[in-house]
Amino acid sequence: MTEFYVLKLLDRLQGVFRRTGVDYPVLRSILQVKLTMDARRTPTVLAGGKDNKQTTAEGSPFRIQWIYLLLGLMLILFVVQDGNYIFSMSITFAILMFMIATTLISDFSSVMLDLRDKNILFSKPVNRRTLNMAKSLHVLIYLLTLTLTVTGPSLIVSLFKQGIVFFLIYAAAVILMDCLILVITALIYLLILRVFDGEKLKDIINYVQIILSIGIAVGYQLVSRLFNLADLTVSYEPAWWQYLLAPAWFASPFELLLGGNRSVHLTVMSVLALVVPVLLLAVYIKLMPMFERSLQKLASEEGAGKDSGNMARRLSELFCQGKEEALFFRFTWSMMRNERDFKLKVYPTFGLSLILPFIFIFNVLWGGGGLEELRNTKAFLFIYFCALLMMTAVQMLRYSTSYRGAWIYKTIPLPGLSPVYRGMLKAAILRLLIPLFVIEGAIFLWLFGVRFLPHLIIVLPALLLYSVLCFRLLPKSLPFSEQYSAARQKDFTGSAFVQMFILMGLAGLHYVISLIPFGIYIYAPVLVIANWWIWRISFPRAELGGS
Amino acid sequence: MNHAQEPVISIEGLWMNYSDRMVLRGIDLAVYPGQIIGYIGPNGAGKSTTVKIMLGLVEGYTGTVRIFGRDISDGDAAYKRRIGYVPEVAELYDSLTAKEYLGFIGELYGMKRTDAEEKAERLMGLLNLEHAFNMRIASYSKGMRQKVLLISSMLHDPDILFLDEPLSGLDANSVMIVKEIFASLAARGKTIFYSSHIMDVVEKISSRIILINGGDIVADGSFAELKEKSREGSLEGIFNELTGFDRFRDIAGEFVAVIGEGDSND
Repeated sequence: MTEFYVLKLLDRLQGVFRRTGVDYPVLRSILQVKLTMDARRTPTVLAGGKDNKQTTAEGSPFRIQWIYLLLGLMLILFVVQDGNYIFSMSITFAILMFMIATTLISDFSSVMLDLRDKNILFSKPVNRRTLNMAKSLHVLIYLLTLTLTVTGPSLIVSLFKQGIVFFLIYAAAVILMDCLILVITALIYLLILRVFDGEKLKDIINYVQIILSIGIAVGYQLVSRLFNLADLTVSYEPAWWQYLLAPAWFASPFELLLGGNRSVHLTVMSVLALVVPVLLLAVYIKLMPMFERSLQKLASEEGAGKDSGNMARRLSELFCQGKEEALFFRFTWSMMRNERDFKLKVYPTFGLSLILPFIFIFNVLWGGGGLEELRNTKAFLFIYFCALLMMTAVQMLRYSTSYRGAWIYKTIPLPGLSPVYRGMLKAAILRLLIPLFVIEGAIFLWLFGVRFLPHLIIVLPALLLYSVLCFRLLPKSLPFSEQYSAARQKDFTGSAFVQMFILMGLAGLHYVISLIPFGIYIYAPVLVIANWWIWRISFPRAELGGS
Repeated sequence: MNHAQEPVISIEGLWMNYSDRMVLRGIDLAVYPGQIIGYIGPNGAGKSTTVKIMLGLVEGYTGTVRIFGRDISDGDAAYKRRIGYVPEVAELYDSLTAKEYLGFIGELYGMKRTDAEEKAERLMGLLNLEHAFNMRIASYSKGMRQKVLLISSMLHDPDILFLDEPLSGLDANSVMIVKEIFASLAARGKTIFYSSHIMDVVEKISSRIILINGGDIVADGSFAELKEKSREGSLEGIFNELTGFDRFRDIAGEFVAVIGEGDSND
């Protein structure tokens, strides 16, 4: 097993862990095993016995994600500013918190709410606190790697540009921020676990995820709005509401220690930046055993499925050709309904995709002009962003906790894989994209008036086209046939980038077309034909065998 | 029964209900060192739940469970150090090799990693798995996984073994070895708590058989004692009798009839 550098760092802190009632050697070996496993790929059931021996091409959990590095380079702009630290650093921390928190909620909720280990670990002499601490640290290590990738460039630049004090404050604030985000999320989950019970709990957690990601997105907007990005030079005026903005807390010490502004207001916020994370961390450590115990509720027996499958059956009859396709449509449909991990990862994006178009519109509105003005712009194109959901959904459809069940694909007589994929994609579109689109479309219609209707009608085939492109860009994998591992997600960042550009390209195309008189009426049939064509070539009918 | 020693496990008035149904309805039980308990009952009778409660995996029960004379509800997990467990489902960390996995489990039980690995390698060798020691568990067959589970449960020389279908997936030769291991361990004063659906094995290896049905203990005693009270000659027969099940022929007949029905539609 690999000796991880992180673990050696942790060794230095073992005294602290011991004091909180954690069995350090056990904690260490659990973490070591977890990190080792993350670095390895579990061969999927379908990959067969080919690469069961130690494969060399393994993804390290600490591989640098260049997309985050790129974002990190942008942060440099904020840390090189002299003076007005409170503005520049508030924005820096707002961006960071937004990113880290959304990643945590969507990617690591399943780790925090994980029960799979319980039989293996908890039947051994491992106490609850240690187990939970191991879980939290596991998540925290990832968060810190992520944060370090994002803040790395700006940290280094700040060391040279702003000096060692700035650098140290920055580094400390970043670590405190990570702890704060992790602990708050965990405490919110704990609260829900305490208050709700059984089957309801599982739904509530998904709703909370949606609300959290919306809340964070909106909160992020508030920070950048209230400080007004355009006025970086404006003099600083304290106000009571800043006490509520965590990014402002973390920005205060810079102003206090470097900007020479010794106001009571800033001192209080700086103290908050230090005290709140530490205090919440202490509370969390105290409550850890309770967290583990409450988690048990998630394992409680599933209530009998209320869904009789009528809806899925009717939809599959309407939209699918052939028995196999309808079969896999219904299969994907019910798996999406029941697979907790799928929901844990996709629902936060659902929330984000729901709110994102409106945030952009809100920005346009803020820029001046009322609803009337808005109607004359092409801001309705922001509706395209709701398709970001498909990016995550298509990517997640391959994963399942019961991925071993995938042997079934090999034993049933399938004529080819096309119907499987087609049914799967159609189910994802109808279950996720269409409802989202209907909600968005209704609100957009209200905002932009009936004049917008033809455009709205065009957006739909464009998004369908986009869904197929998402599917094509990702490596093909049978639905629910692989085990999820956070480390592997990095393989997808490249194609995620391409998918983003395609989506923007589609919106851009729509924009150009809308400039041409009657352009959309020509564009519409083109889109329909393009759809027909791409579905045809993506899921060829005569494909045989194929495994 | 006359026992000079203290019971290693003592359960008093154990009730457990999941949200909608009672799983255990007042189990009372005392288990002594050196016993091999065959813990049997129909599906859903509460066997696994009892074992999971004793391991602290399930909470929310009422009653007292004492292991090694100590109430397990006090939150101290130290008693688990002297317990080995083979769960019903072979849950393992697949992407580790047997060496890594067993070394890790040994560490959790407070052994030194190198000691655990060395011991594990010898035990693996004895079960004909030396070639697989450095291979990932994901590539193992069902029987191999089961052997790894068995080793992981005994690596730290526990005083109580909780085994849930421990022989599943093993070939006949391995079954003989493992049964012999259990007998020798019991002779050395270890306690084995064995649940299984395979009545022949339970009949042969258990020194005491406990049958639960619907959350109650309906029979408790050695096989000879159970046979005296019953008209049936085999444990299977006793099982059927005590769980009030005599319709197997009817059901099998109907089942086959249903299978055949589909053909006529085609």
